[in-house]
Amino acid sequence: MIEIKDLHKSYHMGSNSLHVLKGINFSVKEGELVAIMGSSGSGKSTLLNILGMLDNLDEGEYLLDGVPIKNLSETKAANYRNKFLGFIFQSFNLINYKTAWENVALPLYYQGVNRKVRKEKAVKYLESVGLGPWVDHLPSELSGGQKQRVAIARALAAEPKVMLADEPTGALDSKTSHEVMDLIQKINDQGNTILVVTHEEDIAHMCKRIVHLKDGVIVEDSVINQVRVSPHVQ
Amino acid sequence: MFNRDLWSEIFHSIKSNKLRTFLTGFSVAWGIFILVLLLASVDGMKNGFTKQFNDDATNSIFIYPGTTTKPYGGFEAGRRIQFDNEDIEYIEKSFPGYYEYITPRFTKSVTARVGNETGTYSARAVNPDHQQIERTVINNGRYINENDIKNTLKVAVIGKVISDELFKDQDPVGNNIILNDLSYKVIGVFSDDGNEREERNMYVPVTTFQRLYGNTNKIDQIALTYNPEFNFAEAINFSDNLEVILKRRLVIDPDDQGALYMNNYAEGFSDVSNFTTMLSVISIAIGMLILIAGIVGIGNILVFIIKERTKEIGVRKALGARPYDVIKLVLLESVFITSVSGMIGLFFAMGLVALISPIVDAPAFSNPSVDTVTVITSTIVLIVAGVLAGLIPAIKAAKVKPIVALRAD
Repeated sequence: MIEIKDLHKSYHMGSNSLHVLKGINFSVKEGELVAIMGSSGSGKSTLLNILGMLDNLDEGEYLLDGVPIKNLSETKAANYRNKFLGFIFQSFNLINYKTAWENVALPLYYQGVNRKVRKEKAVKYLESVGLGPWVDHLPSELSGGQKQRVAIARALAAEPKVMLADEPTGALDSKTSHEVMDLIQKINDQGNTILVVTHEEDIAHMCKRIVHLKDGVIVEDSVINQVRVSPHVQ
Repeated sequence: MFNRDLWSEIFHSIKSNKLRTFLTGFSVAWGIFILVLLLASVDGMKNGFTKQFNDDATNSIFIYPGTTTKPYGGFEAGRRIQFDNEDIEYIEKSFPGYYEYITPRFTKSVTARVGNETGTYSARAVNPDHQQIERTVINNGRYINENDIKNTLKVAVIGKVISDELFKDQDPVGNNIILNDLSYKVIGVFSDDGNEREERNMYVPVTTFQRLYGNTNKIDQIALTYNPEFNFAEAINFSDNLEVILKRRLVIDPDDQGALYMNNYAEGFSDVSNFTTMLSVISIAIGMLILIAGIVGIGNILVFIIKERTKEIGVRKALGARPYDVIKLVLLESVFITSVSGMIGLFFAMGLVALISPIVDAPAFSNPSVDTVTVITSTIVLIVAGVLAGLIPAIKAAKVKPIVALRAD
């Protein structure tokens, strides 16, 4: 699903150049649940941003579902993001003046789906994350965990090939973190490919594979025994 | 561009950002409101001035003959110009529709006697049209009519002063008056408010005088009024044409300044006209400055709006919004707000003007009103300029990498 060869990325700030990713080789198959771990500054978020086409790569090759991703125009990148990717952010990034279902329906709006179908789908996905009764609520009326579940429903709505989660539990307490991870595991069970960036060991172990990043290179890439959340969540 | 979803997006964001909407809208509405009031005030001042200065204005043109100062067409300089009846007929034939009234004028000093009372007055031999040109008000009896002209009747319309001096308390109408030893019948008495000298004149049919004094068709002056629907430029143009044609007919050098005197009243009012034109220019200049202030205001708020929405734009882009979608969203929202509030400002101001206009009728300020075309044009300019002011930040926002936009707080 994802194939990366010899990926380099550096940031320039004035005369200083910061080489963040120094040759990443990495691939993800369909249905995987991968945790990308590393301390801050290891380049894990940069990698996710490049995977998410939110940022451009400098050198190397990136194939997403067989499509080469390089030097895309803004419009093309937008179309690919819309079709291929679902994002889950640490700070949720919901649009605060839109209700839960309208937030979820937003990617569908950019797909050109008509309003009626949008609402049906959005409500369906909100129900699937357990927010059926909160469909018409604004983000400000929801708890952190609920907000993140709205964001997950939004990422699901576009039926993406890959879901990218950047510290999805970073702003949540441990109980809600586990709820969110439970949801992510269940979505993965249905065959969705998911990448989770995290710096928390326990969250990483709820995935099926852990990729360790350090100073811009992959230092460890191992398949692990997944810790299921379900028994812990009541 | 006009699909329902986009508009519901726009209404949504307007509804959820009331303060922002209000600020933008208010600056636009206020700008238009002030502009309309300014234009209306200037219009009111213009009306006031025109009314005051043109109160006793007429649309008359007087043509006096002079002496040529340049040799032309075989004639030497120093020739006296003399009009005759054919010149009038020629003007009538050459300019149908251009003039309203036309009359010859032939002035003669006469000694008048009624019984034992005598006096010296000036008698003007004229056509019936003269009444309208001079705006003679008949108190008693009637003015000269076509019948008097046709039959060269010896009739006279005398001024109030003459009536008082010669007839005393007697009613002059129907009685005789001896002018230069010839008996005339008085058919009317006229008065002229505020000009007693005018009341020392009398009017007689032009044909009568021409027959009695030399049996000629000569006349001293030509007086006419131009079509009252003419504006200033048309009036001046007409009198210029008249001069050219008369000079050609009378064989006068076109550049000869002394042979003909054209006294066009319109020219006398050109100063007033210049003044009001100046007023218009100033009002347009100030209007422009107000528009610029409004535009800067809108631009300011749009920059602020876009800054505030950077993160939202980043989210939208992450979810698949194309740069075009972002620009469309931001711009259409501002266009919508500016147009609606522009209209609101417009209607409020025009309503106020319509309310005030009939009440205000002071000498220097009368019936202020606005030219709809001007107002709508400036509204459109304001909207377009507002959009242009917002376009730059909108394009900038659309270009921002989503990663940068998402990081913004």
